[in-house]
Amino acid sequence: MTSIRITGGAVHDPANHVDGEIRDVCLKDGKVVDDVASDARRIDARGMVVMPGGVDIHAHIAGPKVNAARKLTLDERRGDPVDRTSLLRSGTGGLVPSTFTTGYRYSLLGYTTVVEAAAPPLAARHVLSELRDTPMIDKAFLLLMGNNQVLFELIRESGGAVSPRLRDAVAWWLDATGGYGVKLVNPGGVELWKQDNGNVHSLDDHVAGFEVTPRQVLEAIGGAVDELGLPHPVHVHANNLGVPGNADTTLDTMRTLSGRQAHFAHLQFHCYGGKPDGLPRSRAPELLEWLASHPETTADVGQVMFGPAVTMTADGPVAAMLRDLGADKWLNHDTEVETGCGIVPYRYRASNYVHALQWGIGLELFLLGKDPWQVMLSTDHPNGGSFLSYPKLIRLLMDRAFREDQMGRANQRAIRRTALFDGLDREYSLNEIAIITRAAPARRLGLRDKGHLGVGADADVTVYHDRADREEMFATPRYVIKGGEVVVEEGELRRVDDGVLLSSHAGFDSEVSGVLEPLFGDRYTVAFQHYPVRDPALREPARVVEARVS
Amino acid sequence: MAKLGPVTCAGCGLLCDDVIVEASDSALVLRPECRLGTAWFSERMSGASDGPLATIDGEPADVQSALARAAEMLRGARRPLVHGFGGVTVEDARAAVALADRLGALVATDEGEWSGGPAIPLRGASTATLGEIRDRSQLVVIWREDPESTHPRLLERIGFGGNGPRTLVVIDDVDTATVERADVRLAWPREHDLEALICLHMLQRGLAPRADGLAAELADELPALIDRLGAVPHVTFVYGDGLIGGPGGQRRALALHELVRALCRERHAVTLELPGAPGNRSAEDVLAWQSGYGGNVDFGGGHPELATAPLPLEDVDVRLRVASGPAGSRVAGPDGEVWIRTAAAGVEAGGTAHRLDGVPLSLQAPRPADAPTAAAVLSRLLGELAG
Repeated sequence: MTSIRITGGAVHDPANHVDGEIRDVCLKDGKVVDDVASDARRIDARGMVVMPGGVDIHAHIAGPKVNAARKLTLDERRGDPVDRTSLLRSGTGGLVPSTFTTGYRYSLLGYTTVVEAAAPPLAARHVLSELRDTPMIDKAFLLLMGNNQVLFELIRESGGAVSPRLRDAVAWWLDATGGYGVKLVNPGGVELWKQDNGNVHSLDDHVAGFEVTPRQVLEAIGGAVDELGLPHPVHVHANNLGVPGNADTTLDTMRTLSGRQAHFAHLQFHCYGGKPDGLPRSRAPELLEWLASHPETTADVGQVMFGPAVTMTADGPVAAMLRDLGADKWLNHDTEVETGCGIVPYRYRASNYVHALQWGIGLELFLLGKDPWQVMLSTDHPNGGSFLSYPKLIRLLMDRAFREDQMGRANQRAIRRTALFDGLDREYSLNEIAIITRAAPARRLGLRDKGHLGVGADADVTVYHDRADREEMFATPRYVIKGGEVVVEEGELRRVDDGVLLSSHAGFDSEVSGVLEPLFGDRYTVAFQHYPVRDPALREPARVVEARVS
Repeated sequence: MAKLGPVTCAGCGLLCDDVIVEASDSALVLRPECRLGTAWFSERMSGASDGPLATIDGEPADVQSALARAAEMLRGARRPLVHGFGGVTVEDARAAVALADRLGALVATDEGEWSGGPAIPLRGASTATLGEIRDRSQLVVIWREDPESTHPRLLERIGFGGNGPRTLVVIDDVDTATVERADVRLAWPREHDLEALICLHMLQRGLAPRADGLAAELADELPALIDRLGAVPHVTFVYGDGLIGGPGGQRRALALHELVRALCRERHAVTLELPGAPGNRSAEDVLAWQSGYGGNVDFGGGHPELATAPLPLEDVDVRLRVASGPAGSRVAGPDGEVWIRTAAAGVEAGGTAHRLDGVPLSLQAPRPADAPTAAAVLSRLLGELAG
């Protein structure tokens, strides 16, 4: 493999307390090393900024939900064709790009690792097949477990406590699918949606037919993930997403998981004050206060960007709410035993009060937060906007004048109801950007070899021109290095890397199969023995991250 | 008698994976019984696929020579077509689309008469997996399909014959095996389907349809159906080419999805589409994720474009028919024909296939064979073209 010395660049490696020092970064055999031989390739990075490759902790890039969104949104991709070349596969872009194009465009943006944040375990084969066709990035997926009837049975059996059986079941599911972590989406609410268009509204509502509550699901599964020591804590999409007043539910959820490691997804959508049938207001400061006093808790923002988006979620009732607001297109898909899915193409308008408030709340989360290690960058791609809008979002955070210009174009009634109106003057530094886009997500995912440039780290590196226009800077890296090989130069893909699957593993008592099999038999239309995905062609190449206490 | 299983049967889009195959020299029996599945396994386990591994212009040939000839034909093609996809796995479809991309080919996963294109992109849909329908739907409407013949275990798998009250409504003016199972049968000529859907939608919204035409003829039946749909919390519509195939199919599909969307305001309503052939769903899904489009796709411009009109098949000079099993993969053009035998997915080779509701399943290989899979053949063909 290639040896490379990146020389003369300003290195931003916050995990190793390096903040803009001019120093060399040496790469060999796919890893960061102390030094390389004198005949190693030299990359002259003088006047440039060197960071670890980007890590996206929460995006939707593969699986049946994403593929259904492709089928639903043909028109918006027609204008964005991607030609095949001697090196690259053809495809289409837009908000929900085809698989190859997804990988190429993440790479062109300087990202080297991406997490698909919501996969039905039953569809693991589909997710894995799509991820095999998503090159250039290492990839992981989170398993949806918040509305799983089999787990509900185990939670009911344990009275809502973490039980050895439940722990074993969670570990079994990861082993059976190649998943990396556990996602809870509107615990209990999706099951009720599938029953009769119902939902839960508080953590103590009962899930009909199962005698469990969302709080018990949070405590039991969140606790199981914590006790298993999985590399990534439970990843929570809280109940009541998008509903005015939902900050109470979010705080209740945070209190319920207090003392346990937990990550809150797209927090912006869960920060609202007001009454359910009224207009929302911001309660971001309260949630940030909670985060500041609970270092075991992290979040990604789920920033909305003005313009088109495609909402896609396992939270079926949320999609139905958008449908009832007048959406042209609506797609619903119910997956037996496990989850739901709703998709609605959407547009965030600067002139719209709610949309401008959402935009402002997202920026509040970034700018009022004390610790960037706790609040990470995401647009919940493509729910709040495409991952291609990350450079613009970074500019909003780094460039106050640009931000104020954009604020001036937004609904002023909404802006006045956010802290932005008070003249927030914070501008993110390059080091803070490095934290929220790579160091913090990698650390939170438990990926010790990623998100930093210390010796032994993966040789995933992005080199940017240090441009005053931060949007332009982050949109077109000078070099992207993946696994020690230069894959992008000056905005062009030069080499294709397949990337690897990132899975996690926790030990479990194999006797749990004897518990699960009868529970499966009554519910699934897939035989228990055929449910696990063992095919090397789907599971490899992979890097398996062990749980702390397995 | 050899007893194999449980294995997944790829004889239709249901992909039943609880099948036990009992095979002897003289007979093959499936448990649970299924006429279609028995025929499917019999054909693939009978040894009928013995013989040459490849032919060139009908003459036996070795696989390497056949691949070289096929590559030569495809390399010289002006307008290649990749089609068929009978019984293919996801792996086969991935290789086929990769080849089509390289060739700049037309890809047809639907070769039926032009319906106007897919309806899903217009307004969306509400769908569910088989287990959801089995466990929640008290009323199932089958619209001009005969799953008893085409998907023999469908009714069993969505709960008919099991516990709980459940009503089966069949809309068809042809006497079929499925009509015989109906609790309620409604019949009108196929050309009235769009009108019927519009009437139902109006009735559902509390509006009065026109007092002539079908609404007048079925003045009792259509309101009664709406009443039935409104009386339960969960309903399912099963449909397929019988409703949405051929000219005007897109409009009928759109009308169905509009009706279901309207019903969804008061209850849970879902649809289940029956595919024309096994393998269709796998191929469609792969084509969607690799190209971004669900439907027939043209790679001829260097990038994928969705076919928005009947495929220009008159321009096609070389055809690559992709199939798994006895049909093999076949390249045919003005200068000849190459055939390469491929292993039958689900009997001779494993893999992944997508069930008609999108659930991915593993296929097993209860009787492994030496023949390469379609994926392997197509990948080698891609290698030949690249070389």
